Amino acid sequence: MIIVPCPNCGPRNSGDLQNCGENISRPDPSTASLVEWREYLYMRENPAGWVTETWYCRGGCRRYFTIQRNTVTNEIRGQEAS
Amino acid sequence: MSEITFKSPVDVGPLTSPDGSVTVADAASTTKVQVRAGAGTAAAAALDVSYGSSRRRADDALVCGTRPDEWTIYGTPGQAAAISATVPTDGFVTVIDITHGRAMLRISGSNASASLNKICNLDLGEELTPNGAVFSASVGNVGCDLVRDDQNGQTSFLIACERSFGKFLFIAVADACTEFGVQIPAGWELHGH
Ligand SMILES: [Zn+2]
Repeated sequence: MIIVPCPNCGPRNSGDLQNCGENISRPDPSTASLVEWREYLYMRENPAGWVTETWYCRGGCRRYFTIQRNTVTNEIRGQEAS
Repeated sequence: MSEITFKSPVDVGPLTSPDGSVTVADAASTTKVQVRAGAGTAAAAALDVSYGSSRRRADDALVCGTRPDEWTIYGTPGQAAAISATVPTDGFVTVIDITHGRAMLRISGSNASASLNKICNLDLGEELTPNGAVFSASVGNVGCDLVRDDQNGQTSFLIACERSFGKFLFIAVADACTEFGVQIPAGWELHGH
């Protein structure tokens, strides 16, 4: 079990939230090449270490927020509302 | 506006343990009015509770800060129009009667927290959820809005969910109380369907 700190609700069981994955910037759809768009849709860094990711507080305040999580230890730091 | 007769998804109970330490009772007919209002609106100022807390108004309605910029007002049955009329609607504000869209139950007693804790991820102890605390969480895998609303000094929680999950939620909560001797009526067992 991972305890994830929601900026609105405080510490919550990760089962009450939804992990929306790594934060990645969205290219401009009007100028992005097919390769850039494919990378935006499917390619992730998936590091063994710190990753900046978005979570959705599904069971609580229903807001999105950003945290940094260490994928090896599940240590979490720096949460902020998205 | 006349009120529509309410039909609860739960037609049993209340269920009480022999020692009286926990009671589960249907409360679906409770009037439920949802308010969404931006910061700085007259509605937000009038409701006057922040996310996570509640207050009992002079008209006996229970005003809950259900989510950021969202409130739920609970009242006695049949009061939706009267309660809605108390909310100023200037600016970016919606007021919706969700009475018929939500089921609700009340669990009370000295073992209410212990029973609920079996099927809810949150710590329902005094420190995190004191009387008046408002929070949302999964209860028996059903997404619920909860408020700790003690009665006569007894621990008590009001739990609301989407109406279509109401019967299951009642069954799941009643099942969590069997440890304390609550008898489940035939056909209302969690397992065995
Ligand atoms: Zn939250």
